[in-house]
Amino acid sequence: MSDVVWAGCRWLESTPWGVMVRDSTWMYPVMKWVHFTGLSLWLGTILTVDLRLLGVGDRRHTAAELSNSLCAWRWIGFFVAFLGGFLLFSVEATTYVSHAGFRLKLAVLIPLALMWHVVVQRKTRAWTRAEGVSATGKWAGLIELLLWISVVTASVGFLLTNDLTYA
Amino acid sequence: MWEALQHAAWVTTLQTTGWLYGLVLVVHYLALFSCVGTIVLLDLRVLGVANRNKPLSPFAQHLRLSTWMGFGAAVVSGFLLFATKAEIYAEVTPFRVKLLIIGLAVMAALAVEWSVARWDRAPVVPVTARLLALLSIVLWLGAILAAVEIPALTGIG
Repeated sequence: MSDVVWAGCRWLESTPWGVMVRDSTWMYPVMKWVHFTGLSLWLGTILTVDLRLLGVGDRRHTAAELSNSLCAWRWIGFFVAFLGGFLLFSVEATTYVSHAGFRLKLAVLIPLALMWHVVVQRKTRAWTRAEGVSATGKWAGLIELLLWISVVTASVGFLLTNDLTYA
Repeated sequence: MWEALQHAAWVTTLQTTGWLYGLVLVVHYLALFSCVGTIVLLDLRVLGVANRNKPLSPFAQHLRLSTWMGFGAAVVSGFLLFATKAEIYAEVTPFRVKLLIIGLAVMAALAVEWSVARWDRAPVVPVTARLLALLSIVLWLGAILAAVEIPALTGIG
């Protein structure tokens, strides 16, 4: 791993917030709570829209309507999840980046899923037609679903095999 | 009873097969995100914070399937995870508190679901509706808090 990344992780662990969460007995679970609360809004809405693109869900309303009506709170959820995740990461950044599964999640899967999400969000209206969702839309929804499932899978893999001291 | 469950052959298989246990955990997380996220969104809409300019009932219909499919999958996967450590989980207070909060939260969510059509016909969303929605948010977020406190307070997880 590059020295720059390692140095950055050491720095994060020494930041006031890294030290604060690490030294507190109650803050660590509370940050997990913040992370999961944000994820519920973020992934809950994304899964709903992707399933609708695939034809699962309330037929009286289109995927585009659903996507638009959930947009603001979806991104609020993302930033809440990001904040909680960032603080959890700062506690033991070097342990996190030493884990191959976590590196895959942070450096590959999340950026990929995020970029794909932005594409899907922008294109959902174009994919929505009177007779249903176009084939492209269905594939795009399926791919997004699988990308986020892979993010959660990498996270669970990390949860089950990490060397964290504070978890 | 919990001892028999934990030592059943299929539970032992689940506990000792890493990828299978991981798979159940992935389902549990995805399902609970889907369930809690959509319930909280509907509550925010009732409170008038989200999507105020659109009617309530269609919004509720949008989310219903994700909410209750998620809930069903979370219960099934949650039971499987519980079974692998049934003896310990059944004994610890934070886990009992979590189940109690979930029970209350489900009642609040169902009460919101059942009343949405009625509230939609009213000129303004009644105060009781807003209180119920607020209670539902507090309970669901409380359930997640109780869940993360289980490993923190008991060391099990």
